[in-house]
Amino acid sequence: MAADQFACTAAVVEETPDAVVVSNLGVASYVLAEVADRDRNFYLWGSMGSTTATGVGVAHGTDEQVTVLTGDGSLTMSLGVCSTVVTADQPNLTVVCFDNGIYGTTGGQPTPSIDFAAAAEAQGLSATSVADDDAFAAAYADAVDHEGPSLIECAVEPTDPEARPTFDFPHIPRRVRDSLNE
Amino acid sequence: MSWEAEIVNGLLDAEIDLVTQLPDGAMGAVLEGLHEADVDTLRVEREESAIAAASGAWVTGERAAVMCQSSGLANAINAIGSLSVPARLPFLALVTRRGDLGEFNIAQVPAGYGLPAMMDEMGVRHTVVSEPGALRKTVRMAADSAFSTRTPYVVFLDATVTGYGQEAQ
Repeated sequence: MAADQFACTAAVVEETPDAVVVSNLGVASYVLAEVADRDRNFYLWGSMGSTTATGVGVAHGTDEQVTVLTGDGSLTMSLGVCSTVVTADQPNLTVVCFDNGIYGTTGGQPTPSIDFAAAAEAQGLSATSVADDDAFAAAYADAVDHEGPSLIECAVEPTDPEARPTFDFPHIPRRVRDSLNE
Repeated sequence: MSWEAEIVNGLLDAEIDLVTQLPDGAMGAVLEGLHEADVDTLRVEREESAIAAASGAWVTGERAAVMCQSSGLANAINAIGSLSVPARLPFLALVTRRGDLGEFNIAQVPAGYGLPAMMDEMGVRHTVVSEPGALRKTVRMAADSAFSTRTPYVVFLDATVTGYGQEAQ
């Protein structure tokens, strides 16, 4: 069984409408753009493996909820970043790892099979694993209420979104910044 | 004033809100000075994360600095090239540079000596500091220019400032 990445991303936006959502390059950003092109969507167009750490930086400077939407391929590239999330210990940070089992933007090659929740827990980061839409929505609500940072590993079906964020990369963080300063 | 105090004062002058860093014995007194001055610091697991966290802080209105060794900046080339530069996410970097005067370890030479040229190739401005005298002003001005132009700026600290290993002597 696997969840639907569109439904889960929509649940994030619905549960935390004011959150800064930092999305991994590729599928996570494309799905987010298709669900809702919000001012506080911090789409990445590059730097695979750096999405979670970017969220840590955002969470340092705001009291708003900050949610990272990363992928299994990207988190595999920087699995040790969970230790940095623990070090930073920001209560407003939630990391969602959508595990579709493939490198979605490089041709669909299989990713290594990793128990991300266990890997996060091994670094001291509270984590849970879900595999359907309702369980994700409940886990996300719990994570937002959780007093510290946490990670949700969510198994999803591979998808091929049509939407793309703006190609004007400098505009994306500028728009987030302006929204936070309003 | 020690070179470490020059850096701490430069960062305070520049109103840096967050310093992301990895352990570096040469910068220990700087880190201690930042703690005494109540500047937030964050130890990260890898230099790419130091760059990314500093970049993320900018969208909240904060000014962040990165402290790492030259080998670590080499680790972070892709974060600089595919996040900081194209998205115009500024940060100040203070990088202890190995590979030049006094270097004994050949493993530090290719990246350490070559990094200024690598930064040039990516269009990242930098300066190599070999004398500590004006370090406070240099740090302040590098930060001010980074954040006013919305581009990264790297200050390399040569071994003539930070000292070098007994192995070479």
